[in-house]
Amino acid sequence: VAVRPVLRLPAPQLKVVAEPVARLDQPAQEVADDLVDTMGAYDHCVGLAAPKIGVGLRVFALDVTGHPKARSCHGLVLLFNPEVLLGTEPKVAREGCMSVPDLTGNVLRPSRVVVRGMTSQGTIRVIEADALEARALLHELDHLNGLLFLDRVAAPHTDLFQRKSYR
Amino acid sequence: MSRFAVSVFGRDRPGIVAAVTRVLADAGCNLEDTSMMILRGHFAMMLVISGGAGIFARDLEAELSPVADWLDLQLSVRSVSGDVVTVQVGGERWSAAVYAADQPGLVAHISEVLADHQVNIVGLKTRLVGEPDAVYVMHFELKVPAGRAAQVQSDLSVAARALGVEVSMRPDEPDVL
Repeated sequence: VAVRPVLRLPAPQLKVVAEPVARLDQPAQEVADDLVDTMGAYDHCVGLAAPKIGVGLRVFALDVTGHPKARSCHGLVLLFNPEVLLGTEPKVAREGCMSVPDLTGNVLRPSRVVVRGMTSQGTIRVIEADALEARALLHELDHLNGLLFLDRVAAPHTDLFQRKSYR
Repeated sequence: MSRFAVSVFGRDRPGIVAAVTRVLADAGCNLEDTSMMILRGHFAMMLVISGGAGIFARDLEAELSPVADWLDLQLSVRSVSGDVVTVQVGGERWSAAVYAADQPGLVAHISEVLADHQVNIVGLKTRLVGEPDAVYVMHFELKVPAGRAAQVQSDLSVAARALGVEVSMRPDEPDVL
């Protein structure tokens, strides 16, 4: 079991676009194992992308089992080179991130997604998810592109904004 | 290290943030938490800043005074306790929207209901819009003591009916991913 520290801002690794996993070799599998072990070591951690443990590879682990906001639940999901095929029904929800201390923010994301990636056995897996699982998938996918929820917050203070100015 | 509360208020125009923060930066101060917004055509800045030992509020105020004169700003710098208050307010996170035809005392009425339940207002923004038939819109960010939300909602509804205002409350717990 290798539990790795979860990086927090301002760690530069969080802002790097991760590289595709070319081969499912031993090092790639070890990263996947570390993701699962590290995720299990943190309470309430539902997803972990490799950049969060300082590895610039396109792989994440996710598990929303038992979460009160989850509807779809595929148990432990481990995907290499994941991509979004479809995202619909955008919804706003408040997000936080283990890599961003203290802050939360309202983020608009599709609430239904279809995501495709490769399993650790090298087979293609397609996942149709909604609610929290969809949000978590998109949040982790963002990490693979060097994006944090901070990059997606619509209005940091409030979503109420003056339509015209006073004169 | 010393810490100061800076407040700035004046008719909105481009360049206020740049002018004020340049003076603070040149004085060797760090901006920590800040909030800046337009309030009925006036630009309001509230800043908590820190500076090295030997920096005094009256000196900062003096250094800012040319900018205040130039941009016609009301400005004050006050020393605050050097300790960062890191106490996290406990409870469940909720947000509430309240709106109605404008009438005196709306914020007082609604916030008294919240205070009666030990609800902490962690953010509040209000806007008076749509004159001459003015509508008052309030948006609260709340920390509600665990298990009290249903009673708070119920009491808010009672108050809302008496005041003739619309109230809605929704959970705003973050998903930490």
